[in-house]
Amino acid sequence: MILAFDPQQQLGQPLVLGVIEGSVYGLIALGLVLLYKSNRIFNFAQAEFGTIAALTAYFGYNGKLFGIPWHMPWIVAVIVGIFLGTLSAVLTERLVIRPLFHQPKVIMVVGTVGVLLASIAVEYLVFPTGGVAALPSVTDVGLHDPAFRVGFAGYNVSWEQVLTLLVLVAMALAAVAFFRYSRQGTAILAVSQEPTAAATVGISISRVSLLTWTLAGFLGSVAGIVSIGGAPLLVPGIMTGTALVGGITAAVLGGVTSMPGAFVGGLLVGLVHQYTQAFLSFPGAQNVAVGLVLLLVLLVFPRGLLGSET
Amino acid sequence: MTAVAAAPAVSPWRLSGAGLAARGLAYLGLAVVLFLPSFATDFSKTCSLAVIYALMGLSLNIVVGYTGQLSLGHQGFLGLGALVTANIVAQAQLPIWLAMACAVLATTGVALVLGLVALRITGLYLSLITLVFGSAISSSLFALARFTDNNSGVKIQRPHYLATNGDWYLVCVAVLLVVFYFDYRLTVSKVGRALLALKENERVAEAFGIGVTSYKLLAFALSGAIAGLAGGLYAFRGELYSEKDFQDPNGFTLALLFVVMCVVGGLGNRLGVVVAGLFFGLINELLDDLFYAHWVHPWMQHVPVLGSYYSSDVKASYLASLIGALLLLQTLIFNRGGLGAQLRPISRWMTGHRFELHDATHSGPAVAEGSSVRA
Repeated sequence: MILAFDPQQQLGQPLVLGVIEGSVYGLIALGLVLLYKSNRIFNFAQAEFGTIAALTAYFGYNGKLFGIPWHMPWIVAVIVGIFLGTLSAVLTERLVIRPLFHQPKVIMVVGTVGVLLASIAVEYLVFPTGGVAALPSVTDVGLHDPAFRVGFAGYNVSWEQVLTLLVLVAMALAAVAFFRYSRQGTAILAVSQEPTAAATVGISISRVSLLTWTLAGFLGSVAGIVSIGGAPLLVPGIMTGTALVGGITAAVLGGVTSMPGAFVGGLLVGLVHQYTQAFLSFPGAQNVAVGLVLLLVLLVFPRGLLGSET
Repeated sequence: MTAVAAAPAVSPWRLSGAGLAARGLAYLGLAVVLFLPSFATDFSKTCSLAVIYALMGLSLNIVVGYTGQLSLGHQGFLGLGALVTANIVAQAQLPIWLAMACAVLATTGVALVLGLVALRITGLYLSLITLVFGSAISSSLFALARFTDNNSGVKIQRPHYLATNGDWYLVCVAVLLVVFYFDYRLTVSKVGRALLALKENERVAEAFGIGVTSYKLLAFALSGAIAGLAGGLYAFRGELYSEKDFQDPNGFTLALLFVVMCVVGGLGNRLGVVVAGLFFGLINELLDDLFYAHWVHPWMQHVPVLGSYYSSDVKASYLASLIGALLLLQTLIFNRGGLGAQLRPISRWMTGHRFELHDATHSGPAVAEGSSVRA
């Protein structure tokens, strides 16, 4: 039982932490929603693009990448990381999604599971480590002051946490604008709704699919870079372990086709996590709570909270 | 089969005496191969794991292959079976068979609940629900201090008449054979045909009077029961229940591995799934012991560029999962029937048919190759 009720500790702290944790889920969910819009699948390898980006950035900055100690400047390492993460998404599209284009959707989903397994294995083989302890945060490295923290309404929040939230907001806005105003975005929507008709009016389905996966890979890579920075341990598969279930749940909670929904869903999952952690102490309480919320939302609103597109 | 009788001039082919003898010899050889590992001490333990994986393959195959729903939480059932068995034996001192029966009851019950959810939620959403189910149950229930002997792991002992690893391996094989036969009976019965119809088109099946609700629940219950049995075998295999085996990230990897087994084996093809299960159960240890430790590792150090950043703590299990992933992708893209389709000439021959590399006379729900799993 909670004897001394401390509003700041009990209510405020989880709110701040939940929003920050949720923004990682939101970023993963944005990529998932993008792919769901175009391919009608969940991409189980989405979070792993982030791990690839983060591992590459770290080893480019501070270790050996492909056997060579590069000692890249921080910003170069991050760009190379995001590039490789995005490249892995492009390769996924070309080598796995394209050949399965006309197969049942579940087959394509199992294909992404294969990509996930393969990329974790490749990470273990390429980055020779059982785990790097106490990795310096990527953003802290960029700011050259690991101890730098901002005070936010009485809570200590690190820079990379604020950055994660800002990046999420920026990406969500950019995604909404992209789908509303750009020709490419409209083309993606057109293909997702009626591929044959879209092809008839001259949209290249192949190019649209490649574009979608590139964007999704970019989103996943950014999520990896901003969220892994402060992690105590960087191991292959870490983004899948920490953010995949939360990300997919967030996407579904928001209604898998809605960009603002991914944003809201991510924050919701983060908040549910943090508040259950604050109030319940049995093992795995957070996972059970998220599972129950998901089940409840799916049973009551089968299309998610903000899902409108049929 | 009136269609066959009506077809003109079907060339009569009967099993000759020599053919019968050859098949008998083949079965004898198979029995010997299955029996041999029981003489080894450590290897038989590895083989029991392979058999347990094969059982999990059969269990998942009922959900994925027969009803067409993707489940990513089957490690939850395996772990629940192991948890119930180990705790009943350790805390209530009940006999081992009774404990395993309780485990089967427990997993069947939980699977029924999941089946109830599956009535409302299908396709991708259901696979998400199962994913969350697996990670939630393994991180909460499995980790409760009272079920893990205060986080030290529940130690149990096999009865004295099954004391060695070899004995337990034979028990596992016996269970696998029984479940395999049961699964065969299931697919050739009314239930199997109903499940196949449900997978192909739920509404049409319902129009033909197939009770969607009860058959879906039945499929989940059977899948859960087999997984619970496998969990009991798993607990006694190592004589220890440790929740770590089923918790993420191990649990997630396990769940993915079961899916890989089903797809590589061929969705809905029980023989292929069993062979794939045995393969993936064995490959880890075999790669580690034989291939990697004695061959790859000493050799890698002398390679000019690779060797300089190559470290010895890279385990062969990653190679195993790489092989698994590549096999999965090649099955999906090039060879949708999976291992089962490749083995089909042999399995047809073994069941008393003529050896034909390409036969067009596929029949029965078990051979729903390239099956249309619903999205």
